[in-house]
Amino acid sequence: MSLRNLRGRVAWVFDEDNFDIDRIIGISNLKISDVEQLAALAMADCEPGFAATVQPGDLLVGGHNFGYGHPHFQAMRAMRHLGIAGVIAESFSPGFFLGEINMGFPLITCPGILASVQRGDEIEVDWESDRVRHLPSGRSLPLQRLSSAERGTLEAGGLIPYLKTRIASAKGQQPSVNPK
Amino acid sequence: MPQTMAEKILARASGRTSVRPGDEIDARPDFVIAYDFPGTTDVLFRAAREEFGMDRVSSPERFVLFIDHMIPAAAPKEEELHRVTRAWGAQQGVPVHERKGIGHQVSAELGYATPGALIVHFDGHVSQLGAFGSYAFSARRGVLETFVSETLAITVPPTVRIVLTGTLQTGVMARDVFHHLVRVLGPSSCAFKAVELAGPVIDEMSIEGRQTICGQAMFLGATTMLIAPDARTMAWLEGRSRLDLAPVHPDADAVYERVVTIDVSELEPIIVVPPSPANTRNLSEHLGIEVHTGYLGSCASGRLEDLRAAAQVLRGRQVKAGFQLNVVPTSQAIMAQAAREGLIECLVEAGAFISSPTCDYCYGRIATMADGQRAVSTGTLNTPGRMGSVNSEIYLCNAAVVAASAIEGRIADPRPYLEDVK
Repeated sequence: MSLRNLRGRVAWVFDEDNFDIDRIIGISNLKISDVEQLAALAMADCEPGFAATVQPGDLLVGGHNFGYGHPHFQAMRAMRHLGIAGVIAESFSPGFFLGEINMGFPLITCPGILASVQRGDEIEVDWESDRVRHLPSGRSLPLQRLSSAERGTLEAGGLIPYLKTRIASAKGQQPSVNPK
Repeated sequence: MPQTMAEKILARASGRTSVRPGDEIDARPDFVIAYDFPGTTDVLFRAAREEFGMDRVSSPERFVLFIDHMIPAAAPKEEELHRVTRAWGAQQGVPVHERKGIGHQVSAELGYATPGALIVHFDGHVSQLGAFGSYAFSARRGVLETFVSETLAITVPPTVRIVLTGTLQTGVMARDVFHHLVRVLGPSSCAFKAVELAGPVIDEMSIEGRQTICGQAMFLGATTMLIAPDARTMAWLEGRSRLDLAPVHPDADAVYERVVTIDVSELEPIIVVPPSPANTRNLSEHLGIEVHTGYLGSCASGRLEDLRAAAQVLRGRQVKAGFQLNVVPTSQAIMAQAAREGLIECLVEAGAFISSPTCDYCYGRIATMADGQRAVSTGTLNTPGRMGSVNSEIYLCNAAVVAASAIEGRIADPRPYLEDVK
């Protein structure tokens, strides 16, 4: 299996460091579970009508320590529903990073990204060369390589399918799993 | 090869002689700890059973569950969740501890915090077991891997060593030291790294204070925080440790990504202003702000030294009329000791509302704030909506500050009250 490259427009640039992603849908809306409703609320405080501007495959760009605070899953559920395919940031808050990778949602750490792109630019995440390419200028930046477990989780589409493939391959090699 | 504490523990748990930062290993956790919460344990149990066909976890003696949230239950569905947890524990042969206190504290009291042990949870505050020299960290939902396999994929983190020097002033407590670290180093300074905490300030610090600091590692971005066990640690653990592991110390020539020395002699009590745990300020800059409620408790604070500090401030004084002071000892053992020391009596007579241990005050399930209300709190977080309405505000501070603010009904400096006692 290999990861499919991501290619899309920058749908939004979050240039604030330590951005609390709960603000994307509004903290008072965290109890909403209906994904349609959540998607309609995305970025509503900053730009009413944001939802209608997103095309499938679009990407988000963030600053340092993106996802700091006590991140809930609703914001990225809403973004995925709109068609957002991943987030590229200067760096991520570890809890947010682990949580979203386990959901099978690509988070790409790419120092320098913030100064290199603007909203609307088309960019590409190339997993072969581990680079993020800014298509209008042809320039590219190295992205921070994922661990094999993180990469496997994205390839499988999330933690559960990934663990299934891992366990199946482990069983292939060593038929009995331990019990003492 | 010289190694840090984190490297030694991860090497042992993955059956290697040594590891280096960046190594991808499959490590066997010595303990898997969880508390029941909707969307976590129920999902873990179901996924293990339905997606993986796992009727039993392997080596159930490694697992322990706590019921510390939604305790006591306030709705049938909450009690139903607890019932699912108890049933799962009974079926698996996994102990379920309830009504004993906040799991991160009780797991230390019950001896899971063994020096040198590798411990995993889905909640990051488990890092406080690092106060005892364990490598305890959150795998978030990835903890599922430990329910369906013996091991867990881990990338060995680099270690940052923080050395604390100097002497703490009166009125400055362990959590001020932690908030100061966030202020000096930055909220992402230790992202994806292990932190080793050392130095004369730590040597002099109580076990409780060490737990307070290590448990907040996530607000530096750190995966975990560890303190090398010393005589104080070993005395505390005497008769408690569940594993016979050799305690782990860092090698003198271990390789750190960074070594930072911070002198805390000038440190004053801290106030962390809303809406982010990174907004660390000196208390003196925010005195006088009207506050309506105070929370003394949580897995970060709420231990004996916190209760003693509050009692020192409140002894012979009264909580301001209309101010709601909620005091929640972190565990039953702590509450019983507080009773023996007369702290409960002192706090009750001063007007505090004392609850048995529960996590529920920390996230607004009870003592819920309304629009426009403001709290001083020793909880873990001050994000909007954490303790009630999204239009309420939380100022994080130490237990003595909560007590002084309860007397005055505004953010107050505890030092004059503490000096009175001397």
